[in-house]
Amino acid sequence: MILVVAELRAGTLNRASWEAVGCAQQLAGGEPLAVLVPGGGEAAKQLAEAGVGEVLAVEDAALTSYMPDTQVAAVAAVIAQTTPRLVVMAHTYQARDYAPRLAARLGAPLVADVIGVKGSGAAATFLRPMFQGKLVAEVAPHGEGPAIVTCQIGAFRADAVVKGPAAAVRTLSVPLDASRQTVEPPFQEAKQAVDLGQAERIVAVGRGIKAQDQIVVAERLAAAMGAEIAASRPICDNGWLPMDRQVGSSGQTVAPKLYVALGISGAIQHLVGMKGSRTIVAINKDADAPIFEVADYGIVGDLFDIVPAMTAEIEKQSH
Amino acid sequence: MARETLDVDVLIVGGGPAGLSAAIRLSQLAKAVGGDVPSIAVLEKAREAGAHLLSGAVLDLSALAELLPDYRALGAPLLADVGRERVYFLTENRALRAPIIPPPLANHGNAIVSLNQLGRWLAGQAEAAGVDLFTGFAGQEVLLDGTRVIGVRTGDRGRGKHGETRANFEPGVDIHAKVTIFCDGVRGNLTKQLRRHLALGKGREPEQYAIGLKELWEVPEGRIEPGTVMHTLGYPLRHEEFGGGFIYALPDRMVSLGLVAGLDYHDPLFDPHVAFNRFKRHPLVSRLLDGGRLVRYGAKALPEGGWNTVPRVYADGALVAGDAGSFVNSVRLKGIHLAMRTGMLAAETAFEALRAGDTSAARLSAYQHRIAASAVRQELEPVRSVHQAFGLGLLPGLLFAGLSMLTRGRWLGDLRAAPGHTRMRTLRWYYGIDMASPTASRAVPPDRVLTFDKLTNVHFAGTAHDEDQPAHLLVHTDVCTSICGPEYGHPCTRFCPANVYEIVRDPGGAARLQINASNCVHCKTCDIMDPYGVITWVPPEGGGGPQYTGM
Repeated sequence: MILVVAELRAGTLNRASWEAVGCAQQLAGGEPLAVLVPGGGEAAKQLAEAGVGEVLAVEDAALTSYMPDTQVAAVAAVIAQTTPRLVVMAHTYQARDYAPRLAARLGAPLVADVIGVKGSGAAATFLRPMFQGKLVAEVAPHGEGPAIVTCQIGAFRADAVVKGPAAAVRTLSVPLDASRQTVEPPFQEAKQAVDLGQAERIVAVGRGIKAQDQIVVAERLAAAMGAEIAASRPICDNGWLPMDRQVGSSGQTVAPKLYVALGISGAIQHLVGMKGSRTIVAINKDADAPIFEVADYGIVGDLFDIVPAMTAEIEKQSH
Repeated sequence: MARETLDVDVLIVGGGPAGLSAAIRLSQLAKAVGGDVPSIAVLEKAREAGAHLLSGAVLDLSALAELLPDYRALGAPLLADVGRERVYFLTENRALRAPIIPPPLANHGNAIVSLNQLGRWLAGQAEAAGVDLFTGFAGQEVLLDGTRVIGVRTGDRGRGKHGETRANFEPGVDIHAKVTIFCDGVRGNLTKQLRRHLALGKGREPEQYAIGLKELWEVPEGRIEPGTVMHTLGYPLRHEEFGGGFIYALPDRMVSLGLVAGLDYHDPLFDPHVAFNRFKRHPLVSRLLDGGRLVRYGAKALPEGGWNTVPRVYADGALVAGDAGSFVNSVRLKGIHLAMRTGMLAAETAFEALRAGDTSAARLSAYQHRIAASAVRQELEPVRSVHQAFGLGLLPGLLFAGLSMLTRGRWLGDLRAAPGHTRMRTLRWYYGIDMASPTASRAVPPDRVLTFDKLTNVHFAGTAHDEDQPAHLLVHTDVCTSICGPEYGHPCTRFCPANVYEIVRDPGGAARLQINASNCVHCKTCDIMDPYGVITWVPPEGGGGPQYTGM
């Protein structure tokens, strides 16, 4: 028997579970199929049409939100009751999390990230990528007992699943302890705070600013101009400004209407990131600095004299 | 940590001329004999084949003709047959043309190539022959079982700046092989481990190196005839400094030019990049480049020590070929054909050992005998001490080179030379004074037309690394400010051609070494020349490094 483990996220069936069913159908070759739905509910009814022998549902409050320990306990218990030959699931983040644990619990072989199968029945072998897809390995699980297989998302077609008459949904009860883990709210990576590419005006600082606490000089000018603050690489390397403020070949490429470069010598790595700006103003002590070759307006002098004066003048104008 | 493992018959580390020739030769031998085809894998740290290969280069075609006799029909990228040849002795403003071309520099019958293109082409030939080429994977560590080499571990991927695992973390793979052929190039990081663990250099002379800096230029029409080969001696190097310049004219108005400087100089303030800029400002060169534009820049160390510095090139389960084994003829300025030839000989030895089912050191020592009976020895042994003679100065070096030619090296004794980095003098010794803030000697301000600063040059090397990874230059930084600064004035900031090492001052005025690892062009000079030997180059995450298109 081949057991497919479906995946639910907040009670909704993950579409990739259909792909796992498709993989299992390819592997079956007449062998009976069953689908396990941890959590049961509406998803179990949907999967009843999947052309499988039966749908097994484990309905337990401990399974309403995913926890690796209860998930492993539930799936392991069902495997013990039904003794499948293969256990198939989609290679989702959830499966990546608990499939190794399940395999270790059962002492079962795990064939992860399968992209295809060769043959069917007991002689079937699995294809999986190695070396970031440069090689495809053909793998056959060894040993007694169930082997666990996870299918790469998109490797098997959900719409190729041969549907069948509605299968019976059998509810299994397995003893489950409460999870020892607690759920934190889902983590969402913070969006990039600034998109310098959208900025109309940018004030950028370079090594000439000399110290972290002097950056405020540039920030005041930026505030007066309504500009975003940006920097050349050494400033971000020092951690004086966050990496997402870096302009240049290893940072962002920008093309604002106005780019004010303060104490930036203009290494080519920086220039490639900003030379598309419409108007470039450069302030630098070194008259030979390459930044002046791309600047429309250049001031040779000490930025600590010039910038405060500029800021004051702009503030006066805008009042 | 669970690692993937992969078993192959022969693992070749490094997809340069040596490694790819070995791979091609192995598959040829397998085909000729029939039966089971051995599995052959080639590891290459560059993202694509050839991307990290840089050389002059004038190619002696003998090895290529032996490996792939119909190389012309197969489309080998030979850019021009060598035509007009010139050798000059340079003074600051003049170029004195040598009346005759010294025999070792006679290149008639050779071809000008781009090693990058040749490497890419060889990789294509190898893949067509069924060799698995893993580009973007660096060999991190030799896997040993006692004294037996059982394979190589590739580098981890997805480690962050402080070594922590990132979301895309993937541990390196253990590749097990019956025979591993190390072709990891000049100062290869794995061959270096092998030398240490298995004492491959025991009883041999210390290795000697040089650094070559090279640029590719596009010059105005009619400036120089394609196929022209020029070599220079003298300026900008001083009597005490080994090296010389080269200019090779390619088709389509392209010119390849460079300067090679021995990594055994005395002056702690010597900067090879400054010397290269001075070379370009010499009238002979600046007239050629005037009105042209820089296309690409690169740098690479090269082994110069010759025959007596070749280490033991076999061990249980392992062979060493190419630059990794110091197979370079420093008098002819050529190594590609020797890399190819030693690669082929290594392949033949490995193949026989596999068929005999015995890959022990005793069996693989046949490789050393093969080399001794081959053209490699014929070429290297007579000139075995020439580089060492240049350690005595330019004129003694030239004299010794001439004598070596005349006598075929027979009646000349073997000269010894200490490792180059031990020959660097302290500031006090060389200049006789203490210096507060030393700068490179004889530096010229870059004009950004003909001469450039290092950072701009690095841009033209196309080098790129994932920024969020541990620094791949392991430096015992406590030496920097306490000893190395006062004694040598931080020579790493000068011998590095890519501005990787930078001394920055904190607001408090304290000096600190900043390692700009993502600038690295993988030349290995720092690993070689650091006077305290505290810099170790290890491969960064696979795929990172320069992009030497056309170099």
